[in-house]
Amino acid sequence: MLLDGGFGSMLIAAGLEAGRAPEWWNLEHPERVGAIHRAYFEAGSDVVHTNTFGANPLRLAAGGLGGRCREINAAAAAIARRSRLGRGLVAGDVGPTGHMLPPLGTATIEEFRAAFREQAEALAAAGVDLISIETMSDLREARAAVEAARATGLAVHASMTFESRPRGCFTIMGDPLVASLRALVEAGADAVGCNCSVTSAAMVAMVAQAAPAVPVPVSAQPNAGAPTVTPDGVVYDASPEAFARDLAAMVDAGASLVGGCCGTTPEFIRRARSVLDARETR
Amino acid sequence: MNDRQELFAALREAVLGGDDAAAGRLAGEALAGGAPSLEAVERGLVPGIHEAGRLWEEGEYFLPELVTAAQAMKAAMAVLQPALAGAGHGYSIGRVVIGTVEGDIHDIGKSLVATMLSANGFSVVDEGAGVPAGRFLDRAREVDADLVCASALLTTTMPRQKELAAALRSSGLRARLMVGGAPVTRSWSEAIGADGWADNALAAVAVARRLAASGASD
Repeated sequence: MLLDGGFGSMLIAAGLEAGRAPEWWNLEHPERVGAIHRAYFEAGSDVVHTNTFGANPLRLAAGGLGGRCREINAAAAAIARRSRLGRGLVAGDVGPTGHMLPPLGTATIEEFRAAFREQAEALAAAGVDLISIETMSDLREARAAVEAARATGLAVHASMTFESRPRGCFTIMGDPLVASLRALVEAGADAVGCNCSVTSAAMVAMVAQAAPAVPVPVSAQPNAGAPTVTPDGVVYDASPEAFARDLAAMVDAGASLVGGCCGTTPEFIRRARSVLDARETR
Repeated sequence: MNDRQELFAALREAVLGGDDAAAGRLAGEALAGGAPSLEAVERGLVPGIHEAGRLWEEGEYFLPELVTAAQAMKAAMAVLQPALAGAGHGYSIGRVVIGTVEGDIHDIGKSLVATMLSANGFSVVDEGAGVPAGRFLDRAREVDADLVCASALLTTTMPRQKELAAALRSSGLRARLMVGGAPVTRSWSEAIGADGWADNALAAVAVARRLAASGASD
């Protein structure tokens, strides 16, 4: 299955002001949000993620949108559903709360559970096809999100962000790749994987480690190469062609769901679609 | 190995293992046994935090381990501080005001730098995230800061560091400026006229020591 690509940079290209929470646009510019979803569907995505990465109550409060969790998630889901072509699926996107559990911070797991429950219920009520948890760096937080999502009865996909270290792949909190994904499966995730922080070339090795070790479908959503800061903003250095070939390599390594994260665009997905389709017809 | 050396070794282990209760207790034992406070710092705590830093650089220690090691060191420092001050060491290498710039909510890295600076002997005032330039300056003036550290995690908030650098220069305050954050580079730091830059918490401590020392000799 082909997921979608990066959303944040697409919003910025469409005029989102720097530092403004992307979720605002579900209320203020639904047509621009919908246009991005439609572009991904047209490029060949089977699934798009709702514009709700930061739409849990904790993160919304920080962005000036406190108390509007249900409203924003409902608006975002409606926009994504309206943008569907034929059999496209809508995944309710759930990102990190932005708060830290001890020892880095003072948040509690109960606060996390409550926040994820509120967001997951709002997304489910608004008719998304599945819940997609992503970019998690703390296994405890990811587990709380999976549990909350499961309680809605929808299928749950959960993805974490790993980096490569001499001893293996770990989140910044030190959660190891395989053990973490297994823990998420135990918590009830129907599909698990990794996204962000890593180039498509580097993520092939992560998939090769994870896929054989995990009893559910595995996903991979790498970045479009490494970022460089330029006067015009952040630029990623991967080409859509190389990216698409890497996604195919990930499928060979056992991934069942692939897509793109930061820096990827509909063009990346278009190339990925044609490379993956060509493989199918070999 | 005599008792004092064993105590220092145990202090080192307590810091390395992130055991703040043990670190505080052992620091108290060291003082009660007549150990010079400065020696306890330099032969017990500092080796522990440096080893934690080395393990972090090698990808063996992650954020939680580094943070708990720094917290253990802070716990021990809190016990040793009065003795250090009494012995004339006044173990504050410098006064720092740190924060993430206006419009930016990211603070893991900034908080880690704050913890590491504090663990390494700096007096740190952490203003949090989303700090306007004016507040950096007001606080720096209030505490007679040696160093202002400003973090920006978004390319869109990096310009605030430039703004802060200019404001600091025209304020007449003596504080040096160090900048950091994932998109921040040496060339950006130089272009905006900052005094230093670091891309990880350990380098930040080294740069801070250098800047504080150079400020003291002005």
